[in-house]
Amino acid sequence: MASPVKSVVIVGGGTAGWITAGTLAAKFAAESASAVSVTLVESPNVPIIGVGEGTWPTMRRTLRKMGIRETDFIRECHASFKQGAKFAKWATGEEDDFYYHPLVLPQGFQDTNLVPHWMEDSHGKSFSAAVCPQEYLCERGLAPKQITTAEYAAVANYAYHLNAGTFSEFVKNHCVGALGVRHMLDDVTGVNAADNGDIASIATRAHGDLDGDLFVDCTGFRSLLLGQHFGVPFLSRKDVLFADTALAVQVPYAEEDSAITSHTVATAQDAGWIWDIGLSSRRGVGHVYSSAHTTEARAEQQLWDYLRATVADVDGLSLRKIEIKPGHREKFWEKNCVAVGLSAGFLEPLEASAILLVEISASMIAEQFPVTREAMDIIARRFNRTFRYRWDRIIDFLKLHYVLSKRTDTEFWIDNREPGSIPDSLTELLTLWEHQYPWHDDFDRAVEVFPAASYQYVLYGMGFETRPSHFGVSEAGRKLAQKHFAKNEQQAKEMLATLPTNRELLSKIHEYGLQRV
Amino acid sequence: MASPTILDSAKHRQTRIITSRGAEFGENVHFVPVIADELHRLVLEYPVCLIKDNDTGRFGLSALLGFEPGENLYLEGRTWDATYLPLHVRRQPFMIGVAGETGTTPTAENTVITIDVDSPRVSESDGERLFTDDGSRTPYLEDMSRLLSTLVPGIQTTEAYIDALADRDLIAPFQLSVSFAGGEQQKFEGLYTAHDEKLRELTGEALEALHGKGFLQAGFLMLASIGNLQKLIDKRNARRATAA
Repeated sequence: MASPVKSVVIVGGGTAGWITAGTLAAKFAAESASAVSVTLVESPNVPIIGVGEGTWPTMRRTLRKMGIRETDFIRECHASFKQGAKFAKWATGEEDDFYYHPLVLPQGFQDTNLVPHWMEDSHGKSFSAAVCPQEYLCERGLAPKQITTAEYAAVANYAYHLNAGTFSEFVKNHCVGALGVRHMLDDVTGVNAADNGDIASIATRAHGDLDGDLFVDCTGFRSLLLGQHFGVPFLSRKDVLFADTALAVQVPYAEEDSAITSHTVATAQDAGWIWDIGLSSRRGVGHVYSSAHTTEARAEQQLWDYLRATVADVDGLSLRKIEIKPGHREKFWEKNCVAVGLSAGFLEPLEASAILLVEISASMIAEQFPVTREAMDIIARRFNRTFRYRWDRIIDFLKLHYVLSKRTDTEFWIDNREPGSIPDSLTELLTLWEHQYPWHDDFDRAVEVFPAASYQYVLYGMGFETRPSHFGVSEAGRKLAQKHFAKNEQQAKEMLATLPTNRELLSKIHEYGLQRV
Repeated sequence: MASPTILDSAKHRQTRIITSRGAEFGENVHFVPVIADELHRLVLEYPVCLIKDNDTGRFGLSALLGFEPGENLYLEGRTWDATYLPLHVRRQPFMIGVAGETGTTPTAENTVITIDVDSPRVSESDGERLFTDDGSRTPYLEDMSRLLSTLVPGIQTTEAYIDALADRDLIAPFQLSVSFAGGEQQKFEGLYTAHDEKLRELTGEALEALHGKGFLQAGFLMLASIGNLQKLIDKRNARRATAA
């Protein structure tokens, strides 16, 4: 007899817990006649880490699918628009060293690889400026859309910067108020196993035992179910990604109408890098560094130095220290328990992968939701394969930023290029790309976390050289490429003429709201 | 720039208003704001749709008069070729001013008639007088006053109508792709109307709420008015043919 999966119990109520709850509940409500119950148990005594204030464009789909209005989200989560990231001082460390990893794909990306044409003649432009308009918008602090653009629609592809604390609260209210998620404030005191090794129920302090068919572990670094109960080992990836500590600070804007940067700024330091994220209400700034390569005092000093350039009085600001254990669990779904969020693993926030991983985990659980316990082991194996692949690709991609650096000023940068610290998969790709240009087929999964475009932006933003091949480029190919370059110029010009500043648009959204259509 | 001044029987005793139509009075516009109460009249002449305000992104109800800025296809010299003229066209150069803070609800007590003294309609020699020599209102001004007292609450009802549609997700964009005589193809974006299917499928509380306020009917009138686009196309073709 098959045992149907009828109830999901999510343990932990941070960003991961509530996104998972909302994604599952919305999917069940939309598609199933007899709804699967979704219960979220959250301890009133465990503070939310609220890690990650940067998202990917995927967040627009995640929110829309939950039935959330973008206007409400932007207003209540102090959200701002993010059009990618600007990496400063990563390649050479010089003052004028920067490049963009934008969110808009290169022109004609489906069928034309512009890299060889840009290499042949860059017309004095950076790769990203030559192939997409977004760098121009970011450099001028412009928004990716207009007040007349519908909710979730874009003129230039965008993601968000958000306040992680208020975001959890916001998604919670929607889950409970609109999606029928049962919310229980209680401490989990134990895990009760079934005969087959599954979790039968979790014991709570005030509500007794709570049964469930599928348990989602969103307990953060504690990894209460997957790590502690099942003992699934943690795989440290510190041998690849050295950063293990972060110092974070919240920075008020100087003026009520100060410009809001419409991209994340990541500025390289001696032994790590500083993130700078603009919300509508404040900035979030932090220094991520390798404690093996610098001292906390020096890291702190560099953070203050960085802030002094834009903040009149840094003495009033207070730092929060966060330990980072780079790595992830050996698997993510064991028996009838799947981990989402920090309980599954964590990496430095260089490409805003934390919330992304939560979204795509929740999405895969929802899309492939096991109908019965019998189907669950198959889905679990598939989930584990997919997410191991995704973590590996993210680690490769983060490491890429360090490997391509030419900096020799500190051991941190030199050590990062030590061949032993580079995953074989990345070494292989880099060898390939010395001979040919990155393209779609280098990544063969149906859903890749980073498309070939991302690799192109980072590689050629950081001055990577692919040798010209004996194939050369045809006259027809060159003409087509020139057309794309010209089209890009034209698009950039039109956008510069019509888009408001990020601050202007956010103020208008707070005042008038965006329309749904 | 419009500079509204409170209408004053002493100050404006000799003021006259030119009531003829024409481009010189700023009537060469391709759309004009209208109110929901006018829809049953407008539907006989104009395509009426929702257009976003460029500055706020909010929807406004507008009658389309042409296909590009500066093109009013109903306006032929000094003639506005239609059986009905939108109130917003007829009210010029007057408006109602509300005493008190921004957002104060207009009532009979707190409103005054204002006049845009910079309007080319304002004259000392031509047109209709506003006041007689003894300072009492002329029949023309009485008419205008009645028109304004219809228009002002109508603007509020129209906002409520649009909000009611937007709140229930009943607004949909429509793609307008027009072939003019001579093969010229043009696509127009930024036009919205009621969501036909959703409007038809309304039930229960939502249906009653909209119907009770006349908003359901307004929604269907707005949808029906889109048929008048053919009138606009014909007018433009005719105008091009004459010009050629």
